[in-house]
Amino acid sequence: MEQEVGESLIQLGNSDGSNSSSSDPVTRVRKLLFRRMLVGIKDGRFFLGTFHCLDKQGNIVLQDTIEYRSTRRSSPSPMEQRCLGLVLIPSSCQNSCHVDCSVEEQLSLLKV
Amino acid sequence: MADKPVYEEASIDGQPPKLASIPASDTTVWADASPLLQAACAGLRDGELIHGDNFNLFAAMSALEIMDPKMDSGIVCTYYSIDEAIENGAAPIPISLDSTIDVRCTIDIMDHLLACEAAWHKGHSLAQTVFSCIYLLRLDRTAPHALLHSYCRIIRATCKAVVSVVSDARTHEEEDLFTMTYGLPLNGDGDDKCLSILNAVEETISRQLRACKATSSKRRLPEDLEPLQSNPNLEEGFCKALLCRLRFRKHFFHVLSCMKRPQGRGLESARKHIASCLTELESILKSADFLRSCFDESCEGDIDDKTTASGFEPIGFDAMLNSRLSAPTPPRAIKILSWKKAVEYFVKLLHDLDVICSYSLDPHLESLLRFVVQFQKSQPDLVARSHLQLLLVQDGKLYGRDPFFAVINKAAALPEATKNHDIQKNESFLQLGMLVMNLLKILCTNAAWQRRKLGKFLQDWRVIYVQLELAFRNEYGEVSSSSNDENTCMKIFQHILLWVEEQTYWIAFRFLILGFELELYSTGEYCMVYWYLYAVLIKLTEKTHLMMAVSHDTAKRKGKKKKDSPKDLARESRIPPAVLFLQCYICLAEGLTMMLAALRNEIPVFHSPSPFNTEHEKFVQHFELLQRACIPDHVSYPSYKESTTHARFSTLAMYNYFKDAQRIAKEVKSSFSNDPERLAELRKLEQVAEHNSVAQNVICRLGALDPSLKVSFEFSHHPFFATVVVKRS
Repeated sequence: MEQEVGESLIQLGNSDGSNSSSSDPVTRVRKLLFRRMLVGIKDGRFFLGTFHCLDKQGNIVLQDTIEYRSTRRSSPSPMEQRCLGLVLIPSSCQNSCHVDCSVEEQLSLLKV
Repeated sequence: MADKPVYEEASIDGQPPKLASIPASDTTVWADASPLLQAACAGLRDGELIHGDNFNLFAAMSALEIMDPKMDSGIVCTYYSIDEAIENGAAPIPISLDSTIDVRCTIDIMDHLLACEAAWHKGHSLAQTVFSCIYLLRLDRTAPHALLHSYCRIIRATCKAVVSVVSDARTHEEEDLFTMTYGLPLNGDGDDKCLSILNAVEETISRQLRACKATSSKRRLPEDLEPLQSNPNLEEGFCKALLCRLRFRKHFFHVLSCMKRPQGRGLESARKHIASCLTELESILKSADFLRSCFDESCEGDIDDKTTASGFEPIGFDAMLNSRLSAPTPPRAIKILSWKKAVEYFVKLLHDLDVICSYSLDPHLESLLRFVVQFQKSQPDLVARSHLQLLLVQDGKLYGRDPFFAVINKAAALPEATKNHDIQKNESFLQLGMLVMNLLKILCTNAAWQRRKLGKFLQDWRVIYVQLELAFRNEYGEVSSSSNDENTCMKIFQHILLWVEEQTYWIAFRFLILGFELELYSTGEYCMVYWYLYAVLIKLTEKTHLMMAVSHDTAKRKGKKKKDSPKDLARESRIPPAVLFLQCYICLAEGLTMMLAALRNEIPVFHSPSPFNTEHEKFVQHFELLQRACIPDHVSYPSYKESTTHARFSTLAMYNYFKDAQRIAKEVKSSFSNDPERLAELRKLEQVAEHNSVAQNVICRLGALDPSLKVSFEFSHHPFFATVVVKRS
């Protein structure tokens, strides 16, 4: 379902047809700043933190980050977590990126 | 850093299984933002960032970069966790079903642990060294394997003992990694029984050794004992190899326990165990030949680099599993010492500990200071130095036995009766006691740390002198040159004031010469350093001489009834040998200052100003701490310039300080015939004086005329007095 929401986040901007700055991706991503973001990386770990910075290459900086990792290679397995603080996740190792979204917020984002 | 396991739910709503285990919240969901972010990236200009108002680029540079091995300590390597490693057979119990291979692998583990232990002592973290051993991390599972279990137990107990010594001495500030255990399992239940467990295993192997020797000599033994391993040809070799390793551990643990006993009561026993340790280490080294040859397969690579005697890689070690425990950020990559170097390290450590254990606990502070300085010349490592410090300062007393006021009383040549005087309760005297205690602790640290601390210490000693002088003046008015015998307090003040001055100059002297050992001075700065050294030595000698005169008075007063014989009077007028010793130093310092000044004034290449700072700035940088404490008074850059501006080869030729130094050194040798350390020092001083005297003559005759003459300075004969070398280029 989030896949659809994700696509909607862009499509609405495109289908709108207007070039209003409030609907371009950069502005919409600016609105995501300080939101909780969950980045999955290629070795299977997850990093949960507040979205702090993004650059043109796609590198993400998160604040107050918690690292989640499983204790066994095969799932299901218990997960461990630890606090890391400020982290930079290079785009080359990113696997996935999710943002904490309430149902109402999704709708308001859709409106934009 | 709490590790709370979050259990996984079955996948729902088509979300990837792992995501479900990190719930967003009750009212929110995780929305995939990657397409949006990708679109935003495409829309950004080069160098443009999306960030909030609180963003600071400089602060962001301190962010940990994920997947960078230097910053990300959570990178998944072979195993996700210790338990996964064990489940996948990284640390099998037993190591092999073939008992011969099992024994050999056990010995490899023992050897590698020794190498890890040595690497740890040398300054690396516990987690990367000793506790890279999976068997040690889960010690309880080794219980079925008696040999491995007993060995791991004693290693753990030994590490704990060493951590405790170094923590108590607080010398680990120099090498922070040493005592940080970060939650490693260093405290084990029942580790106090580790010696009895070890003894039981040792007993079994001894019997196995006897049995296999009896079999080879065709004698029959009544006991029906199972052999150590299955190959009868290798039984004797393996038993011996194991026994020396187990015995070494046992005796080493005893050394640590004995040395821990208060007031040096265990030192003699410790020496016996040290001797046993050294014997076992020799046997351990000899066992290497057997271990390398007992299997047909030979190991690859250079045997000298290996961390085991056999040359095989040990089973059950993984430093990465612990990387999250060793520090907030991953530690730098380290190399475990080779097995040979590890054995060498322990041999040196044991010799250093033996020197400490042989010390006579001399109550005279002066001899103690000389002992510590001499001990430091062999460059002992952290563990040895911590033991020395704990021996010297215990429970706020010297050797845990002599209160510091009594020690100062003796050092200041006061009569024995005054050591219990109430004046010691005076605030200033209490502080002085603390200063002496701290001085001893500082002298036990490594050279770099020591020099830094001594420099800062000078201020404290200066302040205490001023405080004592003020207290003295308030009570007794102006200090008069004639001493009033009836007033004991006055006498105490006078003696101690003089002694404090002597000590302060001694500290300043030590501060300056440590600079040579640490190679802190460039050749262009030698002139000012020797000049300052000369100034400090003049004051030190003056105070030492006064101190000796005063102590002679005290001694004379003891034997008041005797009349002064002409012989006694003659002895009194002679300069004491200790003072002559210092005068030798003074001559060398003066000689070097003048020679360096003349060279700088006469030969242009010697006077090349640095593009970075002026000579005045360098003077201030080097001697700031001394200047601030006014040690000595009235010494400054202008006075340095004044002393050295007029030095020329012609003035140098007029007086040869080195010849003076040679003469004094020769003269005073007979007074130190019972002191091998000072005799050795005098011999070195003589050599420097001789070489420099010749060099000075050559320079004076040819220096200005012959441009091909090259002058250099080497510390080939003495650690802080340079030998001048003159060559034709």
